[in-house]
Amino acid sequence: MLEIQELSKSYGKHLAVDRVSFFVPDGQVGILLGPNGAGKSTIIKSIAGLLRYQGRIGIQGISSRTLEAKKIFGYVPEIPAMFDALTVQEHIDYIRKAYGSSITDEEAHALLERFELEDKREKLGNELSKGMMQKVSICCALAIKPKVMLLDEPMVGLDPQAIKELKKVVLELRDQGVTVLISTHMLEMVEELWDVMFVMEKSHIIGSYRKADVGEKDLDDLFFEMTGGGES
Amino acid sequence: MKALVYLTWRSFVNNVKRAVKKPVSLILMIFLGVYMVYVAFLMGRLAMELRFDSVQGLVILISIWTIYVFLTNFIGYSSRKGVIFRPGHAHFVFPAPIGPKLILVYSAWMNYIMSVVVNLLFVLAGLTVFGVEPWRMVLFFAVGSVLELLLEGSLMVFLYTNESLPRGVLKGLCNAIKVFLAAVSLFFVWYFYQNGFTLETASAFFDWPGLQMVPVVGWNIAAYRLILLGADKLNVACSIFYVLTVAGMFFAAWRMKCEGEYFEDAAKFADDYAEMRRKKNSGEMVTGIGEKKKKFRRISGDYQASGAKAVFYRQLLEYKKERYFIFSKMTLLGLAVSLILAFALRENAAETGVPQMFMLGILAYMTLVFSGVAGKWESELKSPYLFLIPDTPFRKLWYATLMEHVKALVDGLLFCLPMGVMWKIPPILVVQAVLIYMVLQANKMYTKVVVQCIVGDFLGKTVQELLRLFIQMFLIGIGIAAAAAVGMLIDLNWVFPIILIYSMIVTMLIGALASIRFDSMEQID
Repeated sequence: MLEIQELSKSYGKHLAVDRVSFFVPDGQVGILLGPNGAGKSTIIKSIAGLLRYQGRIGIQGISSRTLEAKKIFGYVPEIPAMFDALTVQEHIDYIRKAYGSSITDEEAHALLERFELEDKREKLGNELSKGMMQKVSICCALAIKPKVMLLDEPMVGLDPQAIKELKKVVLELRDQGVTVLISTHMLEMVEELWDVMFVMEKSHIIGSYRKADVGEKDLDDLFFEMTGGGES
Repeated sequence: MKALVYLTWRSFVNNVKRAVKKPVSLILMIFLGVYMVYVAFLMGRLAMELRFDSVQGLVILISIWTIYVFLTNFIGYSSRKGVIFRPGHAHFVFPAPIGPKLILVYSAWMNYIMSVVVNLLFVLAGLTVFGVEPWRMVLFFAVGSVLELLLEGSLMVFLYTNESLPRGVLKGLCNAIKVFLAAVSLFFVWYFYQNGFTLETASAFFDWPGLQMVPVVGWNIAAYRLILLGADKLNVACSIFYVLTVAGMFFAAWRMKCEGEYFEDAAKFADDYAEMRRKKNSGEMVTGIGEKKKKFRRISGDYQASGAKAVFYRQLLEYKKERYFIFSKMTLLGLAVSLILAFALRENAAETGVPQMFMLGILAYMTLVFSGVAGKWESELKSPYLFLIPDTPFRKLWYATLMEHVKALVDGLLFCLPMGVMWKIPPILVVQAVLIYMVLQANKMYTKVVVQCIVGDFLGKTVQELLRLFIQMFLIGIGIAAAAAVGMLIDLNWVFPIILIYSMIVTMLIGALASIRFDSMEQID
């Protein structure tokens, strides 16, 4: 589970996130929605431990700053940044060592194959296209075998096959009891994935829905109902 | 730790493999290495000529190095910019279950290598030039590579991870150190200018007992004096203080709680550093890491232009929005260099009786040898919009570079005027010199484009620049040789017009050739 309590973050005088709290239970997919500049990325970066913040972030009940929490946490940033001089395979090997991951060679190969990276294993980080980097980033996060997975705009730059595969992966993770949080503004991409959604606007969470409570209602409709936009 | 070692080792291996595959970069690296050895050799000779080749001389050099390294390290670490992180760290290392302190200490490995290399150079110099006994140099190396690195690492941890020290206080301290360093440097220059740079004057300066009493850095110097010069009461006492300080700092750093709050600054630095490298590689002017976002003025008004002409007017609009229009730090630098040269060489120029030739030589040197910074026209070539404009490649080349000619004209004026006035060169020759400067700059720009067309990005920027230099020197050299011959055999007054007209013709021809580059975006990789 992922637990955010009273999270606040300022950049100088600008309050990017103001006392935000939410919770994604085990085995559920949370969606963080909101317009540009709402504070989604700040929340994601805070959870990933890349920012100073006030409040508490818990991963499986442990503070996200601890090494125990980091061990079970996978992160796919919005803009992937590879190590220029490391090959795709070496990125996976690094992750394996850093996280002490139990992923086997066969599993790693299968993962790369799934995202059509098998023939790119020996390519260096600076030889990859943006889409390929995104795929490597996803594979690295999955190689951790995380209990909590964070994906920041994961579909951007991916080809249709990879998007399809990623959606399958998210649903598989959910079935395995992994907590997933996806930050996005591409509503149609997460339509069939979400269990709980949080809508952000101007540094605050302005509301949330549980899929179980809204039935078959469109994500679009729910989002615009809350934000008051979408009329043309 | 295992993961970080793996990361560094594999990066190193792959970089070596890449360098071997690209023989040009390997040759350049070897050339650079040989050049460094040559410089070291020259420095040794210089030390001997200045009769600096004694233990006392080495102590002075080590003292200067210690002061500068300690203070610049302090500035770097306290502003959390002293350790080089890459965007890949923010993605793969900071969120990983690796202790933040370990990440910090490990990521600074380049800094340690630098320190060890410098210490090794001191050891080599000590044994070969300064005639120090080997056991003293071994001891010096041990202290420099163990105690000094322990202190550096501890200082780094202390300043990076310390959240209780107010940022404002640290910033104030950094600014004070910068002022102090500038003041000390100026004082050095003044002192040695007044007294001459000899072993005696330097010793009188660095033997001052107060220097060894300065906390930490002074104590560090005292430890080196103890090793190299032998014991006295002061250096023994200060060395003990130094050892105790290192131990204390190490213990404090070891105990310090760190949950990775510095990651925010480190990630920002990684992005800024990557941006700085990108700019540098594309030849743009870089004044530092993490430059502030440019502020633009609001300009109202419209411009009427069609086809490629619109590119020129768009550039003009962009310059109008800049705070200082087409003027930049480079303009000031050019003016300053010109003023300094004009003043420093005034007697030499007058002695020759042909100061205008002196000016011409400096102009040619500045234009041919210095690569300069990339102008707006180079970023035009990276944008697909230029190629989509329905106009001829030659007009696109002309209008994309026209603003550069205007800038070159102004720069040329600012560069030639001080020399013209101070060296009493006739105004008509100054005007011709300004025009020559402008044409040579245009020539450089177009030759650069032609070279890019010929070799593409395959051989890298350095080789491109060398090739540009060679072609330009060859072509312009013919004109200069012809002008010199006419000047010597017929009349000196013909030199400027011949160079000007010849350069214009050559530049127009190269420009016509360079316009091919403006036809299609596709280039050789």
